[in-house]
Amino acid sequence: MKWIGALLLLCATTWGGFEFARRLNERPKQIRQLKNALQVLEAEILYGQSPVIEACEKVAKQVPAPLAWFFEEFSASLKQSSSSLYDVWEDRLDRYWSISALGEGEKEIMKQFGQTLGQHDFAGQQKHIRLALSHLERELQEAQEQQQRYSKMVKSLGFLSGLLIILLFI
Amino acid sequence: MDEILRIIPPQIQEKLRHLTIQEWDELQEIRLRIGRPIELIFSGHQQVLSEVIPSERDSQYVINQLGDYSIYRLEDELREGYITIAGGHRVGLAGKVNTEKGFVKAIRHISSFNIRIAREKIGVANEVVESLYEDCYRNTLLIGPPQTGKTTLLRDMARIISEGSNHLPSRKVGIIDERSEIAGSLHGVPQHQLGLRTDVMDACPKAEGMMMMIRSMSPEVLIVDEIGSKEDVKALMEAVYAGVTVISTVHGDSYDSVKHRPSLRPLFQNHVFERYIVLNEWDRSGFTRTLLNHQGQRIPLKKRCMANEMDRSTSPTVRYNVGRI
Repeated sequence: MKWIGALLLLCATTWGGFEFARRLNERPKQIRQLKNALQVLEAEILYGQSPVIEACEKVAKQVPAPLAWFFEEFSASLKQSSSSLYDVWEDRLDRYWSISALGEGEKEIMKQFGQTLGQHDFAGQQKHIRLALSHLERELQEAQEQQQRYSKMVKSLGFLSGLLIILLFI
Repeated sequence: MDEILRIIPPQIQEKLRHLTIQEWDELQEIRLRIGRPIELIFSGHQQVLSEVIPSERDSQYVINQLGDYSIYRLEDELREGYITIAGGHRVGLAGKVNTEKGFVKAIRHISSFNIRIAREKIGVANEVVESLYEDCYRNTLLIGPPQTGKTTLLRDMARIISEGSNHLPSRKVGIIDERSEIAGSLHGVPQHQLGLRTDVMDACPKAEGMMMMIRSMSPEVLIVDEIGSKEDVKALMEAVYAGVTVISTVHGDSYDSVKHRPSLRPLFQNHVFERYIVLNEWDRSGFTRTLLNHQGQRIPLKKRCMANEMDRSTSPTVRYNVGRI
């Protein structure tokens, strides 16, 4: 009985470590996707001159899954709602963040970007997209650093901490 | 009316929904001003809705609705000071103006909106067009002060000429719509009924537009709004001598006053126009119109029956006196 318990504990902590490592690995990837999405949005707004709703629909078609849902839902609910663009943006952002591996820093950048979306002329809009992109670039570097530094360690740390607890209990 | 209600903030929309159908029919303008009550202008009277006062947020809401949440798409409109919405209605804007090198760049911090409801009156020009046709359509100038229905009349004339009727031939019509008032175009597509054979050059400067239209679309009748400057007059004469019939409007309250306007003098000296229509005060019964020939002499409007129209009151069978029975 004791051994079964110990084995379960070991499995759980190892899985926890792997999960944490996965998040660390996912984050730079998702930041890159986000940057890509903003670049598509920029092109749609500046060269396609399409309104926000249409531009977001097009972005949703060009980016991979979890992020695509965000843009798709955002444009769909903006079409129906009568509240301001920022309220809808924030609401959708909160929902998306709970399923993504992205951190608080990126969320703040996206929130600030949401406040400027559609509120300026072309030149102003471009500046704000560029600003958000450069902020995201900074976050990306930080995320990559963290990934390199911690991802392997976290995996082994999960296994080893499980082992430690078992040894303490025996 | 949904296209108008769509742009109005919900709590104000609520108030407007209380208006009766008849009031909607008479409604001409809805004026929203930040921090001040809403004003409704009907034909003949006005009304103030003091229960709801629009706030800064409401102004933001209207702008977002007008531009589909995308201010950058309204760049031209914010410079011109008005936005055309679906249905050909106009929203006029006022607020803080940003300039660049002395030219207006855009209006920001918009504090007043004037929603002008466009009404097309199908059939107002029936009699007028009949009188303009004599072997061919004649060059015509509509004279009238603002708010007398010049543009409404012009729009209906375009429709009738392009569609034709039993005794009027149909012609290719070109409209140069510098202020987007005749066609009320949205993304280049006219929002009013202008007939099947009508082409519209939207928001195009008149002088250039007339030449462009003649070169590219070969219209038989050219319709332009509000001639005034020397260039307009020159281009108009070019068009007339290129063999195109021109119908236009001008601000003024009588034939004589317009005749003495220096910029328009060449038109009168060369007898460019063969018909003048003078419009006066608009009242509930309709327009008061006077038709003049090329020398400014009055000629009666032709009144013909509309074909296939039921007209019971003039029928002799119902004329006998029923009171005696």
